[in-house]
Amino acid sequence: MSRKKVDRFVIMREKEAATHLSPGLFPAGTQNEWTAQNRTLTFTAHPLNNGCALAVAGKEPRERISKEKRVFEQDEKVYICRMESVPDERLPFIYDSHAVFMSLQNIMKAAALDFEDTGTERFSVSINNILQMSTLYREAMLRQVRVLQEAERQTEFISMEIDVFQSMHAVWHLLEIIYLTTNTHGLNSSIVPHFMGWLNFNFPAPLAEEGQKIVDSSSTADALAANADLWPYLKKLALRGHVSILANMLERLAPSKLLSAAAARWARDIARVSRDMPLGSDEETAGSFNARWRQWNAELQNVATAIRNLISEDEGSTSNDAALESLYNIVDVMRGDVDAISIQGQIWQDIMGAVLLYNEPTAQVDRLPALVGVVVEQFQTSEFSVLDNALVALLNHDLPEFLVYCNQIESWLSAHLADIMDHISILGICRRVFAVDPREYYLLALGETYLSHENLWRVGLDYLGMTNTSAGVLVMEECVMRVPIESDRKAEQVLRMCDKYRLKRAKDRIHRQLGRQKWQRGRFGAAIRHFAYVNDQGSIGQICDQLWNEYLESGKLKYGPVIDGVVASGLRHERLQFLTRYRDFHVCYNAGDFVESGKILLSILLSEIAPPYAIPDLLVDTIPLLEGDTLVFSSEDTFELLRCAESLLRNPVLLSSADTASENIDKSELSIFNVACARNLARSFVAM
Amino acid sequence: MSSLQVQPVARRITAVSWLPPHAGSAYTDTDLCFVTGSGGKHQELVLWTTANPDFEQAQNSEGPLASLVAKVKHDGDARGIAAASSDLVATTSSFGTISIYDIGHTTAQDDKISMTLRESITAHRFANGEPAVGTALAMQPVNSSDAEVASCGEDGKIAYAPVARLDALQSFEVDSTVITGICWPTPSQTAISTRAGQVKLFDRRAPAEVSAVFIDPSNSYAFECITAHPSQSFRLATGTDVGAVLLWDTRNLKQPTMEAFNVHESNVWGVEFDPTDATKIVSCSDDATLAVTQWTSDSDGQGDSRGVRRLSNFFNVLSINCVNVCPFTRTSIVVAGSDGGNLLIEKNTSDDFKLF
Repeated sequence: MSRKKVDRFVIMREKEAATHLSPGLFPAGTQNEWTAQNRTLTFTAHPLNNGCALAVAGKEPRERISKEKRVFEQDEKVYICRMESVPDERLPFIYDSHAVFMSLQNIMKAAALDFEDTGTERFSVSINNILQMSTLYREAMLRQVRVLQEAERQTEFISMEIDVFQSMHAVWHLLEIIYLTTNTHGLNSSIVPHFMGWLNFNFPAPLAEEGQKIVDSSSTADALAANADLWPYLKKLALRGHVSILANMLERLAPSKLLSAAAARWARDIARVSRDMPLGSDEETAGSFNARWRQWNAELQNVATAIRNLISEDEGSTSNDAALESLYNIVDVMRGDVDAISIQGQIWQDIMGAVLLYNEPTAQVDRLPALVGVVVEQFQTSEFSVLDNALVALLNHDLPEFLVYCNQIESWLSAHLADIMDHISILGICRRVFAVDPREYYLLALGETYLSHENLWRVGLDYLGMTNTSAGVLVMEECVMRVPIESDRKAEQVLRMCDKYRLKRAKDRIHRQLGRQKWQRGRFGAAIRHFAYVNDQGSIGQICDQLWNEYLESGKLKYGPVIDGVVASGLRHERLQFLTRYRDFHVCYNAGDFVESGKILLSILLSEIAPPYAIPDLLVDTIPLLEGDTLVFSSEDTFELLRCAESLLRNPVLLSSADTASENIDKSELSIFNVACARNLARSFVAM
Repeated sequence: MSSLQVQPVARRITAVSWLPPHAGSAYTDTDLCFVTGSGGKHQELVLWTTANPDFEQAQNSEGPLASLVAKVKHDGDARGIAAASSDLVATTSSFGTISIYDIGHTTAQDDKISMTLRESITAHRFANGEPAVGTALAMQPVNSSDAEVASCGEDGKIAYAPVARLDALQSFEVDSTVITGICWPTPSQTAISTRAGQVKLFDRRAPAEVSAVFIDPSNSYAFECITAHPSQSFRLATGTDVGAVLLWDTRNLKQPTMEAFNVHESNVWGVEFDPTDATKIVSCSDDATLAVTQWTSDSDGQGDSRGVRRLSNFFNVLSINCVNVCPFTRTSIVVAGSDGGNLLIEKNTSDDFKLF
């Protein structure tokens, strides 16, 4: 298929079970016509990604069908189909999170080495670093959300992506506050402020715009009191613990003439009490804080009782003080009444937050399962989203279920969570539940997904490599050999990855593969270099034979640059040495240095680096030197030459093949050689 | 290790080159332009603009490091980019082509700048007819419109073509392995680096004959790139596959001297003399770092100040494929591109060198 003419198809997925290509390779309803024309479809799966190559093929071999049946031009095309598993919009996030992932692995490796060397407290040393990495992961998610929100074209896909990343952040953030921020070794701080921070960050309510809208539309206290959105807004503020904003709003509202005197008075009182809400600090003991909290709670209790009494007194009258009732609801929430909180809360996270904040302000993480059980009871859990289920599982400390739900949100999330959970030693429980190691399983799945993207092969291999298990190594070894190598630089990079993860078998296979590819392309020097890495003497010998044969056929010595290139790189091979020395012989001979050329030729014969089939040609090359004006060979040299000729005739390799022997050893040339040797012997004796 | 500024672009950047300022406005352009080439899934050329660091307000400006001006599809991975002028760039691709792109306003009235392909020719092919990857590209250092562009490839050939007339392309097979880099030490001489660890010099007038070959007999590494000193044509620098930057003095062609600086941990993909201070060599590597190597002592001879400054970014852990130092500013500004989809820029001129 032409590179420039790419036909576009849309792949439609139906219920995850089947994938359809639309439009199909043959028009709908023409199946019978196609079959009659001996046409069907053939396909082969891509070795690395979830794509395939499709083509029209004959059902029967061409020889067996009549010649009348036509061949269609469009049938000569091959269609490459691929499903995009990694959208381009995600690339910056994938690169960033991969950088954090690799950094985390290096930190853990260094901590493990340090632990082995010095026996320092590994856990406490690395927990801060892990927390730092966790924050970086979250920053990458938030950055991605921001980039998506600022995208020029807001499509349905973009809004789905924003939802996914916000969900991922909510999950990751909660895991961070439970297992890294508050549950660290030797630190027994309360989860509540962190939980409220998490809640208000990931599920913000009431929104800042709501407050702004109310303030903008109500410049006076009266206008504020008349605003229908005011009281729901104030109740949300109380529910989420925004007590200082609540106090400000109530103080602003109190002067309104639309409020009854009682309501105005209690608005001011509640504002004052709200401002007094105790805040814990690291310096304060739990006992002291609890005492302050009980005192504050009692004060609220008094306010609530007083307002309830006023409302009871008014019950008989016709004028119902709605403001007073709303104030009572607010105080009821703040004094920690679970029923009141349940009525005001819209989502389970609202109720959980308010119960923790007003009922158990010093709760630690081990209280979460009991509390979440009580809160979630009030909802139809069958209507929960995957995110809700994941968060509830995490609050319940049900980590296996948590991981399963996270994988449903996004495979990136489960892989990275399993990894970080392993580093903080909480993955053991999942290992006992899952049939396979969850970290290995999720990392392999993620790595394989990335391998299907042209730009992410290295990222994918890193995830496979970092599983640190034998299964991971096996998968990686198979995958690395299938990474398409389009250039020499990429070949270098793939081989570097093999070195990094000690994949010797894959490295050897890739070198052989590259060697064969270069050989096929006529790049003999490059091919020899690859074969030399794997010490494939046979292939190097074959290339040298090919070079020698090309010389014999053309009579031109053109292999000089090939062998110079590889010999310069330090490669030593008997056959290469032969070609080099033979080239040197020609250089000297052409330069008229017959003595030196004779020495080189003799050394080639005596050192036995020449292949047996080349010896007859070498002996023939000696004839001009033996017959020349200058005495090149001494009597000893001549005897050696004769010995070589003698051993050639007895060579079992050459004799075993009668044809080859007759082809290589030309009897007449041998006779000339013998005569030349005899003459040279005579001359050499005279010269002595 | 110092930190590089990073701008994610979600493209695997494979080549980069600064564009010269418009005639007569050197040092006065408030914005500088450069072109990047990307490969893999997104094969395209992108024209960027960034603030000139010579101006104080530019150094303090916030916002993106570089702004996209124009982009155009590129046939294959862009493996080398060389600017002939502020409105003309040449590229070589993984499909073995040399292409010329015009940069300019779409119409006379239009403010919008665009890049358009003017001409393209296949320069590199294997013996069996398959296209061979073009590995590098260099522009002849002459101020004339008939300058030549020289490219090298995995087919072991050097191709020369006049920028104004690509069809007059001449190609010569000069190596049996892969030619990894090419440069012009003088307007009549080219130098190449090979995967077999050789540096070869060629006279442009006899382009098929090697005029000199240099190797490091004590080591058997491969060379990944080569560059020539901006003013001393006998000085060459090469990057190796083991992370070393080699500095060659070729005054004696029979016995050149060579010095190795082990500044990286993996293949050195790009090497350049800093045009504003040629006592420094800037290199980029597969180990995801840039290195600025001070290769000579101070001119006053007081003490040995030779050392290296390594630059990286936490969020870039993949190979840095290309680097280019801007020759048109007083303040050094380096731009590089990586496999991790990042554009990396360094405008810091501090000399926190770690001495050798």
